[in-house]
Amino acid sequence: MTYKNMLARLVVSAALGIAAAPTLAQDNEGTLVVAIESLAAQNFDPILEGRPGHAHYHAPLYDALVGFDLKEGGIGPGIAERWQISEDGESWTFYLRDGLKFHNGEALTAEDVKFSIERIMSEESITAQAASFRRTIKKIEVVDDLTVRFDTDGIQVYFPTLFSRAIFHDGTIMPKDYFEEVGADEFRRNPVGSGPWKFVRSVPGDFVEYAAVEQDHWRGKPKFNRLVIMQVPEQSTRMAMIRTGEAAIASITPEAIGEVRSAGLKLVSVPATAQAIYQFYGLFRDEVADSPVTDVRVREALSLAIDRKAIIEHIMEGEARMPFPFATFGYSLDMDVDRWRQWSQEALRYDPDRARELLAEAGYKDGFTLSFANTALPGTPWMVDVGLVIADFWEQVGINVELENYEWGAFRSLTQGDQPELVGRVSMYRTAGRPIATTRYHAAFHPEGAHRLLGIPGKCDEVCQKYTELNEAIEVERDDEKRAALTDQMIELTTDSWMAVPILEAMGYWAVNPELVGAFDPIPGRHELGDVFERMPRPEQKPWE
Amino acid sequence: MGRFIVQRLLQAAVLVVLVATVVFFLGRLTGNPVDMILPEDATDADRAALIEALGLDRPLHEQYAIFAFNAVQGDLGTSIRYHEPVMVTFLSRLPNTILLATPSMIIAVLLAVPLGVFSALRRGRMLDRVSGTIAVLGIATPNFWLGIMLIFLFSVQLGWLPSGRMGGPDHYVLPAITLGTFLVAGFMRLIRSSMLEILDSEFVKMARIKGLSEFRVIWKHCLRNALIPVLTLWGVFMAGLVTGAIVTETVFAWPGIGRLTYEAVIFRDFPLLQGVIIMAAVLIVVINLLVDVLYAYVDPRIRFG
Amino acid sequence: MRRLPWLPIAIIATMVIMAVFAPILAEHSPTDQSLIKRLKPPFWVEGGSMQHLLGTDQFGRDVFARMLYGARISLIVVGLSLLVGGGVGLTIGIVSGYVGGKLDAFLMRLVDAAFTFPAILFALLLAVTMGQGLNTLIIAISLLLWANFARVIRGEVLALKQRDFVSLARVHGCSPLRIMATHILPNVMNTFMVLATLNIGVVIVAEASLSFLGAGVPPPTPAWGLMVSEGRGRITSAWWLSLLPGLAITLVVLAFNLFGDWLRDRLDPKLRQL
Repeated sequence: MTYKNMLARLVVSAALGIAAAPTLAQDNEGTLVVAIESLAAQNFDPILEGRPGHAHYHAPLYDALVGFDLKEGGIGPGIAERWQISEDGESWTFYLRDGLKFHNGEALTAEDVKFSIERIMSEESITAQAASFRRTIKKIEVVDDLTVRFDTDGIQVYFPTLFSRAIFHDGTIMPKDYFEEVGADEFRRNPVGSGPWKFVRSVPGDFVEYAAVEQDHWRGKPKFNRLVIMQVPEQSTRMAMIRTGEAAIASITPEAIGEVRSAGLKLVSVPATAQAIYQFYGLFRDEVADSPVTDVRVREALSLAIDRKAIIEHIMEGEARMPFPFATFGYSLDMDVDRWRQWSQEALRYDPDRARELLAEAGYKDGFTLSFANTALPGTPWMVDVGLVIADFWEQVGINVELENYEWGAFRSLTQGDQPELVGRVSMYRTAGRPIATTRYHAAFHPEGAHRLLGIPGKCDEVCQKYTELNEAIEVERDDEKRAALTDQMIELTTDSWMAVPILEAMGYWAVNPELVGAFDPIPGRHELGDVFERMPRPEQKPWE
Repeated sequence: MGRFIVQRLLQAAVLVVLVATVVFFLGRLTGNPVDMILPEDATDADRAALIEALGLDRPLHEQYAIFAFNAVQGDLGTSIRYHEPVMVTFLSRLPNTILLATPSMIIAVLLAVPLGVFSALRRGRMLDRVSGTIAVLGIATPNFWLGIMLIFLFSVQLGWLPSGRMGGPDHYVLPAITLGTFLVAGFMRLIRSSMLEILDSEFVKMARIKGLSEFRVIWKHCLRNALIPVLTLWGVFMAGLVTGAIVTETVFAWPGIGRLTYEAVIFRDFPLLQGVIIMAAVLIVVINLLVDVLYAYVDPRIRFG
Repeated sequence: MRRLPWLPIAIIATMVIMAVFAPILAEHSPTDQSLIKRLKPPFWVEGGSMQHLLGTDQFGRDVFARMLYGARISLIVVGLSLLVGGGVGLTIGIVSGYVGGKLDAFLMRLVDAAFTFPAILFALLLAVTMGQGLNTLIIAISLLLWANFARVIRGEVLALKQRDFVSLARVHGCSPLRIMATHILPNVMNTFMVLATLNIGVVIVAEASLSFLGAGVPPPTPAWGLMVSEGRGRITSAWWLSLLPGLAITLVVLAFNLFGDWLRDRLDPKLRQL
């Protein structure tokens, strides 16, 4: 919208009252209907939702403190335009945009930021980083209306990334005055945010409806008047809805790509949203000391036996890529992207002969029996198929694979504690597209992380100790170049261990009816479209090629 | 009569307790809701904190005692996933399922009655076999597959009907057919066998001797009596209806009880799962009791006790 | 008396032959993949070949081989579920009907509970507790079946109990166990057979529904229901993946039901409520 338009509308609004404004707003019209497989808890309180909720249906309504780099993926300006670490490294200052308003007309200030993050840190909160915030944030101070300072526990170089939906979703800003006035229950029923879409209503298990904001918005002014996000669990039904025009955009899995192409629909593949991997739990434990997979040659052979390109072409319908090392992507920060792209071509090649050679060297000329726990994480059901294919590739080099499929909830509980059910087996897993590798490596390899693949406290061998040192050094290194060098060392150490091995770099798949929505670009790495709806044109504004 | 109702109510209470107990313990063997709430790389410490906050760290018998104590007072707890009382969640979805089940039942009865009657009248002949085949087709085709094929044919190819979701009357056609055909075979068999029995009875002979038209004898007197067992066995079909509803609601994106229960299992939302099962059991028991009482009035031969 | 239902018998026989001789009839393994040869249509469609009569699936596995071995898995599931679920139902029905009294009241309340509780949810709960597998599936489907068997059999036993030969046995001092085993059991076998036949369809379709909900036979094992479920996302691009096993299920379930109807009329014409 131009300034002239806005001025004209201001004058008219003033003359006719606010009610006249929407009827004159000719620059947005129509309803954008989006069908996704799950609306999760369909709760609008940011402290009570997990990731899918935030990325799909909180994002239209709420802004986050830190935003996206829309072109490359990763973080960029959000409610805060810029941020800075202090001299001593133990505090971060965020500088907010001027003139931001919540949907109820109240101004968004540093007070709201302090209130929101404190609420996200509260005991009541179940968001991803709530626990780590409680540990790392010592104090939040409002410097002035547009400046807020966080005192951290020690140096936290990746601190700002925690507030962006590019990585986590713990930077959602809520209106302090409104919340305190109406209370938590009313806030959950009638949420107010500062995003480009206002909340209209939510019917549980069915849909959520939004209306475009009237004023201009820094994330972009919606081209549609209304937005409806609905839950349609069955993919065949979502595809039918796209074909009949009941929905404009639907989330799909690779198996529907053939139909998208043959039915004249458009396919939008969001680059680098996840990596399918397999990993080995608890190989450091004594009870599996004799297991073939404790031999690093055997683990490398397993990787060489997989024809990744064939999987990408056939199972993923060509809509996937050769992966970078574990949990890294083309947009990853602090690493030598070209070096690791080359590494991937060489180290992750398909070489069944070399695989057999390595197996023979390790003393398993006639193969061995490998127990494989196959599973699919939420949102990526195709992982089961990929698991079935790699099992077949392993069989082809003479390994006898005992495959067992786990429903995700059942698998997830096995990764807790001593992980007895998974020790000595190979397990299917996934890692989401995030630009900071170190956080994810901590979860996978650190003796106190979630997966503890290298060791546990008191049982941490040389590689495990070396990794722990590197990890700790990276987290406090403020010099970008030195941090990148350390990160590359960490990646090298773990890739050489063949403990968590990437299979392919997946995309986020959407079927689009080109007659209902115009051409748009998703944000690399962010599968969900919650931060893209406002920039989607109507079909006549920007037709698909 | 009063004594009968009290007795049945007592039995029903025992039944509900039984069902609730089984769900309580079986549910807790399946995993933990915190694993579904927390992000993939949460640490064991984060996990322990959340488990404690949800009260899932207490010994199982203690959790059960708390659950039972509250349930007796009518408090089924708060859904872990939706953060609202289980009763609220259940009641917000129940009307949607009833709205879908009613036309499904009507379709099933409308199909089953003529098929059952004709097949009884022409027992062992061609028409009997054809009727039987048509009725069985409904259970011979997996529900979800039928639904998807119907959507493909009537929405995508012909463009006559919407693919799913709640909405105007046209939104009910495909899901009601999918769910309804599932029940036809059972109804039809019942009507057929009770028609056969009644056609043999003195009562029909009397009616014929009295000179009533064949049409009246069959469609009025016989059918009315043949429908009684359908009524009494209603409970048997309820379970089938719930099974069908889970699948049908998934295919047609219908926000009802079936889908809700399924998601409660997948998400390990124990309070919601327990609550929905208990409420469904209570509902079925109450309806069955009403049917029994009604039955007693319709058919005075039934004695209580 | 109705003539023998030839068509249903032929269909059932075909399925049994497929199941028994799967290794001989199938040229390919049902689980071996070949990604290059994936999604080939059946031979009569352009692009298909005689090498894969019914085409290949998304992994390049031979659909014909999977149908053959699938028949085998389906029959195993049917047989074991009827043995377990039907067996439990039969036992409970006989005991409940013959012993009567408090035990009968208790067992019948259990049956009521089973009817009240949607068995498919039980099956789902089991699948997420025990993990996907043939055992879980059979237990789950047995839970779906036993109550109906118990209810019908009990009704039969109640009628039998009044008959002279049972009273006579009792007068002669036969133990209840003996009476149940030698006098009651043989007389309810007809009913049991009819019930079992009519429930085969229920089992086959339940396997499919559970696969749809993610609690069926674990892949890559071939089973008809799993094949329909897996292929449903490609109805427009590769129709043979779900249509062929789907038709097979419909035909076989129809055949078993028609055969069961015939059996009922022949063995047990008085049998109601089936």
